[in-house]
Amino acid sequence: MAGVGFRRWAQALSRGKGSGLSALLPGCRAASGGSKTDLPSSYPLTPEAKAAAAKKYNMRVEDYKPHTDQGEGYGDYPKLPDTSQQERDPWYQWDHPDLRRNWGEPMHWDFDMYIRNRVDTSPSTLSWSSMCKQLFGFLGFMLFMFYLGEKYPSYQPVAPKQYPYNNLYLENGGDPEKQPEEVVNYKI
Amino acid sequence: MGAHLVRRYVTETDTEPDPNKKYEFDPQFGFEEREAREMVATQDQMNLAQLPLEQRDYCAQHLLKFMKCKRDNWPNFLACKHERHDWDYCEHQDYVMRMKEYERERRLQLRKKRIQSQPEAA
Repeated sequence: MAGVGFRRWAQALSRGKGSGLSALLPGCRAASGGSKTDLPSSYPLTPEAKAAAAKKYNMRVEDYKPHTDQGEGYGDYPKLPDTSQQERDPWYQWDHPDLRRNWGEPMHWDFDMYIRNRVDTSPSTLSWSSMCKQLFGFLGFMLFMFYLGEKYPSYQPVAPKQYPYNNLYLENGGDPEKQPEEVVNYKI
Repeated sequence: MGAHLVRRYVTETDTEPDPNKKYEFDPQFGFEEREAREMVATQDQMNLAQLPLEQRDYCAQHLLKFMKCKRDNWPNFLACKHERHDWDYCEHQDYVMRMKEYERERRLQLRKKRIQSQPEAA
């Protein structure tokens, strides 16, 4: 069996047209992979092309919408809503529960970004205005209180502390040549 | 606790002493004679002990004794209770004097205001 295949290969090699490695490879593709029509192709211009593309991507014709052609190279790949997998129903029995996706479902262009470990587009529990009010309300209140604290500081009802040697004139770096002003502290 | 703050900011804003301003009354006013505070530790002693400036006050001699006791008795950290108490008591009396100075200033301010308003009333 293998010998037959080897012989056929040698015959094909002797009549073969290619050069280098491509001469050694068989001239036909295996039937196991997808056919050429399964790969993404260029932007669909006619309605028939649109229908064929929708079938290719396992979508209904009504749902299928390609990216607008601005030269970015999307081709006929569908434009799916930009929602992360986190937004999908957690209780439905998906084929792939961690990805929350069924087999054969069309994948988003940025699917690897929208997995549950990464970008999450689910809405926040509070509205934007409510969050803004809370944050800026708190910050404003704190700023106001600190301002009040600066204007009306709290202190103990005591006189300033008294120090000897003319308020430590020399220790505070005073000029030894000059005469400091005399400070006398009394007992009370 | 805090009554002075109410007085300063709400009720008696013109007479309550301001801690940032210098006290204006003559220290001898109202006293027959007043003793000056005595400083026992010398500047050289405090320099040699490398005391921080905030601790070079009128209680420094007790602090120097306390530090010496501590150094002599290490590792017995329970040994210097008497010296520590002396220093603490001196600091406490110093604080009480500060409170009395504040109160004196406050009463003199009130008196000044009373005197000023008397001729106007009369």
